[in-house]
Amino acid sequence: MSDDLRRAESGTQLLARLEGRASLKELEPLLFAIGDCPLHGDIVEFHGPEGSGKTEMFCHLISRCILPVVDGGLQVEVVYLDTDYHFDMLRLVTILEHRLSQSDEETVKRCLGRFFLVHCSSSIQLLLTLHSLENMFCTRPSLCLLIIDSLSAFYWIDRNNGGETISRQESNIRRCIELLDKLIKEYKLVLFASTQTIMQKTYNENSGASHSEKRASSATDFKPYLCKLWQHVTTNRVFFSKEQKQESHIATFSVTSCHLKSKNVIKRSFVITEAGAQFIP
Amino acid sequence: MVILREGLCPGLTADLITVLKKNHVRTVVDLVASDLEQLARKCSLSYKTLVAVRRVLLAQYSAFPSNGADLYEELKASTAILPTGNKKLDTLLDSGLYTGEVTEISGAPGSGKTQLCQSIAANVAATLHQRVCYIDTTGGLSGTRLLQLIQCKTQQEDEQAATLERIQVIHVFDAYKLLDVLQGLRQSFSQQLLRSGEKLRLVVVDSVCAVVYPLLGGKQTEGMAVMMYLARELKTLAHDFSLAVLVTNHITKDASAVSRPALGRSWSFVPSIRIQIHRDEKNKQGENRLVSLVKSSRQPANLQVEVEIGWCGIFEEKNMSTACGT
Repeated sequence: MSDDLRRAESGTQLLARLEGRASLKELEPLLFAIGDCPLHGDIVEFHGPEGSGKTEMFCHLISRCILPVVDGGLQVEVVYLDTDYHFDMLRLVTILEHRLSQSDEETVKRCLGRFFLVHCSSSIQLLLTLHSLENMFCTRPSLCLLIIDSLSAFYWIDRNNGGETISRQESNIRRCIELLDKLIKEYKLVLFASTQTIMQKTYNENSGASHSEKRASSATDFKPYLCKLWQHVTTNRVFFSKEQKQESHIATFSVTSCHLKSKNVIKRSFVITEAGAQFIP
Repeated sequence: MVILREGLCPGLTADLITVLKKNHVRTVVDLVASDLEQLARKCSLSYKTLVAVRRVLLAQYSAFPSNGADLYEELKASTAILPTGNKKLDTLLDSGLYTGEVTEISGAPGSGKTQLCQSIAANVAATLHQRVCYIDTTGGLSGTRLLQLIQCKTQQEDEQAATLERIQVIHVFDAYKLLDVLQGLRQSFSQQLLRSGEKLRLVVVDSVCAVVYPLLGGKQTEGMAVMMYLARELKTLAHDFSLAVLVTNHITKDASAVSRPALGRSWSFVPSIRIQIHRDEKNKQGENRLVSLVKSSRQPANLQVEVEIGWCGIFEEKNMSTACGT
């Protein structure tokens, strides 16, 4: 595929593939330790239980990308693969309206023009869609960010359909990840993908008194279950959790960001307002 | 997994398929993922044909990215918000049930989940004049109760009959039948059987865990897979045909006695909106229920309202209380 595309490549496409893509260093510096901002070809994993703010953080990142430069955005394009069927477009519009200096219909739509949404309902469809997206990556030099929410959506169905051995059960998702890794590196994109906390660490029931403690931090609760290759290709893992505070009505969310090579770890908190996720300094 | 066969797409001839099969290219995925140049050389096939076939297959089997601006236009035209018939509940839900989303009500037995579902179904059918598909998996739905609720909405008998007709009730008692029913719905939508006249806007599944629970447990994965199939079917139905889907779920307590919805972690990612309903601890005999928002992408979670479930369900009893009495 890439061979026949490259032969018919125009100058702009060549530049896009080689170095033309804008850097995402300014995407959200607070989400990463200093010096660990995602570079071209990096893969960042968001991991956490439901309602811990992963999709909301994605909305924040999307709005950072698609907002025009005059409003503090990066003015680049984003592809969002929704395998959970829960992306709320109206929520994104609300966030944009709060962040634009003049939030008329036209400006909002011009921003949304830089956003592409794809729904996938099976791992095979995801794989084929990734193959067909290659063309889009190639022809759109301002496309910088790919988001997959979530990569673990087909886990149980694949496990059940795959056959006897784990490696066969994982074959679809492994091929997806292989291809993702290749595409991200080759086209110098950045990938953010979420994985859901659907497994709990097996722990002794007798020491179950500290169950709530264990729930409190998803970082300690982390149990890798996607195929090994995924653990291998990710450069950054961000754990999300929701802080339970009974007395106040404002929920705070916390992220623990671990860079898997430099081993830097930072912890930050954010709140979710009408205008999207906001970090607490 | 789609196996390559004749007629799958133009250009994919029987001869081509036999040659491909000899070279271990059997499925669409195999063909799409293979290096076509190498393949063409190895099987002495025309490179051009292979590229054309690959392109058509990709267009057929992959999902197409839609531009945000177009999608927004489409959403503005297709999204509807279905009011529940109770003002307080509507504020909790940001004016009602949204089409395209799965909303979950969880609560202990006797907390009023079925009452809530019936009231919402009656309201959608009576005041919005839209059709409802009510899938009952526990036998908890009562026709007389539905009629009572509709009587709270309208006094005319012919209107009451028309409203009852808008509510289609399906009884299913296992997960596989439920999947059948949902796939049947999808089929009738795509054949446009339901498009004419009054639109089907709401699908209620009361309760989802009654059919899923028997399949879970042990080290097997089949139960989990069936549950996720159900979840996907509900979500894609909601998304593809702009339906509001309302499901009910039980609650369990974890080791630290915090109550949370049943069916475990994998299911917890399914509903977009979750509300929890429970009896007022201080006033156990009363009709008042506390309804709290557990998850929402629009409203801050932790919102809580008090809803009275009486003769008229969750509807505000304007002047009806004197007329109906108890």
